[in-house]
Amino acid sequence: MSAEGRGAPTGPPHGAESLRRALGLRTVVSTSTGLAFAALEYLAAAGLVAYVAGDSAWIPIGVAGLLALLAWGFFGELNGMFPTAAAIRLYMKRSMDDRAALTITFTYMTTIVLVIAADAFIVGSALAHAFGEPAWVSGLWIVGLLGLAVLSNLRGVRVAGGVQDLATYVVLAATLVVGVTALARNHHGLRFPLDPIHGRSTGDLIEAVALGVFLYSAFEWVTTSAEEVRRPHHIHRGMLISIGILFVVCSLVTVAMSHVLSHHQLISAYPQLDLGSAAMGQAGLWLMAGVTAVTALNTFNGGFITASRFVYGTAREGSLPRQLALLNDRAVPWVPVLALGVLSLVVALVVAVTGSWQVLVAVGAALEAMIYAVAAFCTLRLRARAPHHERPFRLRGAPVLAVVGLVVFSLLAVVASVSVNSKLNPVPLIIIVCCGALSASYVLGVLPRVRSAEEARRAAAPRRRPARPPAGPPGPGA
Amino acid sequence: MASVEELAEAYAEWRRRSNDNARLRKMVRGWDRVIHFTTTDTGAGFTMEVRDQVLSELAVGHVGQPDVIVTGSSEDFCDMFWGDLNPSEKYMSGEITLAGAQQDVMRIDAISMVAFLDQPQ
Repeated sequence: MSAEGRGAPTGPPHGAESLRRALGLRTVVSTSTGLAFAALEYLAAAGLVAYVAGDSAWIPIGVAGLLALLAWGFFGELNGMFPTAAAIRLYMKRSMDDRAALTITFTYMTTIVLVIAADAFIVGSALAHAFGEPAWVSGLWIVGLLGLAVLSNLRGVRVAGGVQDLATYVVLAATLVVGVTALARNHHGLRFPLDPIHGRSTGDLIEAVALGVFLYSAFEWVTTSAEEVRRPHHIHRGMLISIGILFVVCSLVTVAMSHVLSHHQLISAYPQLDLGSAAMGQAGLWLMAGVTAVTALNTFNGGFITASRFVYGTAREGSLPRQLALLNDRAVPWVPVLALGVLSLVVALVVAVTGSWQVLVAVGAALEAMIYAVAAFCTLRLRARAPHHERPFRLRGAPVLAVVGLVVFSLLAVVASVSVNSKLNPVPLIIIVCCGALSASYVLGVLPRVRSAEEARRAAAPRRRPARPPAGPPGPGA
Repeated sequence: MASVEELAEAYAEWRRRSNDNARLRKMVRGWDRVIHFTTTDTGAGFTMEVRDQVLSELAVGHVGQPDVIVTGSSEDFCDMFWGDLNPSEKYMSGEITLAGAQQDVMRIDAISMVAFLDQPQ
């Protein structure tokens, strides 16, 4: 698969090159990688081990990486066509019925709640374990972490690009060092490194690939920064580099986990701490506890901003109740931020009580596969509906690849939604169906009333702009 | 198409409302920015600056290095400055495009909303 630049403009379409502050490629890569590499990544990596033989997890991760490349092609083309934070609304609205587009978008947004909740739970559990506190204390950590995230968001605090770069690269480097050290200190050879289905079925491998896709998920969220980049091609180049980095780091950490951790450690809520401990003793445990906490910085910063601003924009557009567009004195949409905090807290506490984080992983994996299938569909549909639209990044072979992507990602979404810990489990599917049904009932039942009320309000407001004086009769020389 | 005079008149109203609005001045505290407007239909450029919580007069042409670039039709800008148009709607439909940091884009939308008491009660 390849992509070609055709008709690529020499500069950004809207002159972002001249901005006083613009994001460079380094920050695009760190944002894309940082959003994907949440704390949940460690648990998903440990969970993936259960589906394949020995130390061969890098194979499904590699296959998932190839599929992520396919998704990269779709998002690269769509982002090039609509280089804006509102891109998902624009390309979906132009590819399908707006009600279907909104239903899918709202359902997809639940991924952000899940990832924030999961990270709060994982960081809370990791800190409680590192400090030797009883498990229930993790609940206090969760409340504290999410409270801090909500408060800093309400105050308009945003992690600067440089800090985000540093945080992401430190997390990746530390994870690599711990993974390599753990492998080096274990003197046994790798088990079945090239035979993932040894004693397993092909179905297990497919499930492993579905879970592997989740390891790359959210790399595409960086497209919401399209208006801030110095050059438009930084977005698709950055995403490509990010996929490469994710493949290397995730493969290494997963193989290290499968090689040195016991089954009991793999299914715990903090396998990365045990890996750190296996690599460097107590120092490694504390290093990984610190790294886990730092991953939350990216998740909370990116997740809260992306979701709350999307809800604000949709409310301002008239597709959500106007109360969701209320701003505080720091111009922060405080209702979506609070709602996101409360929802994430509830989900995180439910996970802490039930210990069902692998269900979150399955739901996240299925929703990501679903949105990749939707991106494939939009790419295909827009090739037909808007063939002459400028495409600075054009996916070569898109008609075929989009059909392949649509089929494969739809299949993976179904597989991921009915399997937890390599066992048949319909709970993720039930959660997704419930979220989809809620979104659909809002779009079909409530939205028409919201839009009518908004139209009536606007119609009742007097027009302020003075009417233009009528044009005079043409002069004699006309 | 709106003329330069029409745009200047509309902006003057926007500026007056914004600078007279105590809440809005609070919202732009510490937010000193240069904003360039470019009209797609007339090809004109304008510059506004926010400094020390006050919106400057509209300068014709692009002056200084911008923090945000807003591109749209002269009619849309005119309607937006008069408070008759919700810029978010045009932005979400792709008719107004922006370049700049998301938080800066939010502030501009906040100005257009709060200046005309469009804030939901």
